[in-house]
Amino acid sequence: MMRKVRIQLAIFSLLFVLPGTLWAIDGTELLKQVDANLQPPTYEMYRKLINIEPDGNKKEFVFYTVKKGKEKMLILFLSPASEKGRVSLRIGDNMWLYIPNVGRPIRITSLQSVVGGVFNNSDIMRLDFHVEYDVEKLSDQGETWLLELKAKSGSVAYDRLKMTVDKKTVQPLDIECIASSGMLIKTLHYSDIKDLGDGFIRPAKLVTDSPLHKGYKSVMIFAKIKKRELDDEVFTLDFMPKIGELR
Amino acid sequence: MKHNFFFFTILFLGIFFNCSLLPAEETEDSFDFKLEEFEKKPLQWGGYIEGKLEHFSLNTESSLYLLTIPEKDRSSLDRATGTLQLKGNYSFAKNSLHWLLMGSANADQEEYDDWADIYETYLRLRPTETFTVEAGKQTYKWGTGYAWNPAAFLNRRKNPNDPGEDLEGFISLESTWVHSFGSTLNSMAASLSILPVWEGVNEDFGRRDNVNLAAKIYLLVKDIDVDLIYFTGNSRSTRYGLDFSSNLTTNFAIHGEFSHIPDSNRIVLTEDGSLSPETRSATSYLLGLRYLSEQNITTIIEYYHNGQGYSEEEMNRYYQLAYDTHGVTEPELAAELLAKAFTVSRSGYGAFQSGKNYGYARVTWKEPFDIVYFTPGITTIVNIDDKSWTITPEFLYTGFTNWELRLRASLLAGGRFSEYGEKSTESKIELRARYFF
Repeated sequence: MMRKVRIQLAIFSLLFVLPGTLWAIDGTELLKQVDANLQPPTYEMYRKLINIEPDGNKKEFVFYTVKKGKEKMLILFLSPASEKGRVSLRIGDNMWLYIPNVGRPIRITSLQSVVGGVFNNSDIMRLDFHVEYDVEKLSDQGETWLLELKAKSGSVAYDRLKMTVDKKTVQPLDIECIASSGMLIKTLHYSDIKDLGDGFIRPAKLVTDSPLHKGYKSVMIFAKIKKRELDDEVFTLDFMPKIGELR
Repeated sequence: MKHNFFFFTILFLGIFFNCSLLPAEETEDSFDFKLEEFEKKPLQWGGYIEGKLEHFSLNTESSLYLLTIPEKDRSSLDRATGTLQLKGNYSFAKNSLHWLLMGSANADQEEYDDWADIYETYLRLRPTETFTVEAGKQTYKWGTGYAWNPAAFLNRRKNPNDPGEDLEGFISLESTWVHSFGSTLNSMAASLSILPVWEGVNEDFGRRDNVNLAAKIYLLVKDIDVDLIYFTGNSRSTRYGLDFSSNLTTNFAIHGEFSHIPDSNRIVLTEDGSLSPETRSATSYLLGLRYLSEQNITTIIEYYHNGQGYSEEEMNRYYQLAYDTHGVTEPELAAELLAKAFTVSRSGYGAFQSGKNYGYARVTWKEPFDIVYFTPGITTIVNIDDKSWTITPEFLYTGFTNWELRLRASLLAGGRFSEYGEKSTESKIELRARYFF
């Protein structure tokens, strides 16, 4: 089974390195490859989010993240002190937030923002793209592909995505997030491709700007991605206050 | 005076101490991510220091003003409060020791007060990945309601105007088993708590010399959180509870709680002025919703029926008793009435929202007009039976790292013998600065 998958991936990768390929590329398979290049199916990871205001003021957040399979993710805030100990859990479309002073998990929605600024919960707790989106159109733009994606359900934060994918690395370069009204909500810019651990090579920096927040910018720095096997019980409400024990 | 000097010295030192902890001007590339700074250490601690200034306009005509304000010619009160929270944990293998300490000092024109307490200190043992035992003093935060939790039988009653504030725990032993199924029943957790009430142990929970048991089963069924709760023990009578919450869409969630107490005990002030114990069945419930608009406005609405609450007629007797304490010239009779009124207040009449039917609404607007980290909000609580209400607009700003600044005002209104018409305060302005470390 694994061998078959490896052969398929090898053939698929070959298609990308052939310039001006005449073969039709399957958009869904391309999207799955983008996902596979961005993160392993089950992992732990550290991230730093920097919200930058128009006057240059910055606010930083550091998260520890664990993810299992297609729909389970748990995030622990490590910094700043005012947010330390906060935990967000996502199981499919369900999201909860645990605040130490409140002392119990509260249901939240994907559109809410835990950290303020340009990022909302679904940006921080994003599942694989192919889990949440269908490919509507794939266009060849020379050195890049343009993937036009449509949300599989109304529970996804952005109705449509326009993803520019680098042909050489099969990594996303830019993603435009568009509301159902057609309004551009934000644009994500990926850069700084490097080894983030375990030989996992992907963009280490994600800059987000939004026409709705002119002059504001968010920068996400990725570090230390590691494959890790996790019990399903880790992704339960009861475990939320205990996630620190995984580190 | 000496106390006031002590208090303000502590407050000043606290602010000075914390200002010295403010980060220096950044000179390095802040896009650097030095992961070693976030390596896990066995000992972790933090907390906050808080300064709060309050101005109360007193309702000099109200019954509770006559009962609780010693100096009867006062129409306003200014209070300064400093609070320190220290919390932390020490981890060893998969086990950990946790603590939460609180201390506070406040001064107004009438009095100075300070206190310090251990709110929580408990040991958490995790012999397996799915089984946890916690022993010690710990706070229970069961339930899904924001303002009230009728089914949370081990919770302390919270202040609906500040439901997120820390509450003191109870000494107990709790064991929890968790299992994830990954099917329609996504996961479940079963917990059993043992809570003794002895001399010097949990005496404020209920009747002494009893060991109480509480069981809770949590189920995540499809996209619905469900808790089934059971309590038995002689400190309080046996009771059954259920709560739930679910997101109906990405921006709309519902929640609710239900509790039934077959033999609910309470103290009632009878028509002849005596205090009488009463046993009857009581059913309470809460229904609520949470809605997030496209403009990032969150609305929470709750309706609460308090089956153990007092009727308007019963509350009127309490207010009348409070009025009766005023103007009595015979010292012994005055002292007797005052003592009785305080006893009645402590027996349940003086608790937060001791009536029968309430409405709660809270609307917050996160970052309006592109003002990041700024959240204005407004909260209202209505006693549906006597039509009295309180409304609290507020502004919250969290733009300075580790600081939280909150300005809020409260207005209370209602007729004579109504809950909010008889409070000792008719309005309040509060400025609170909290620094987390």
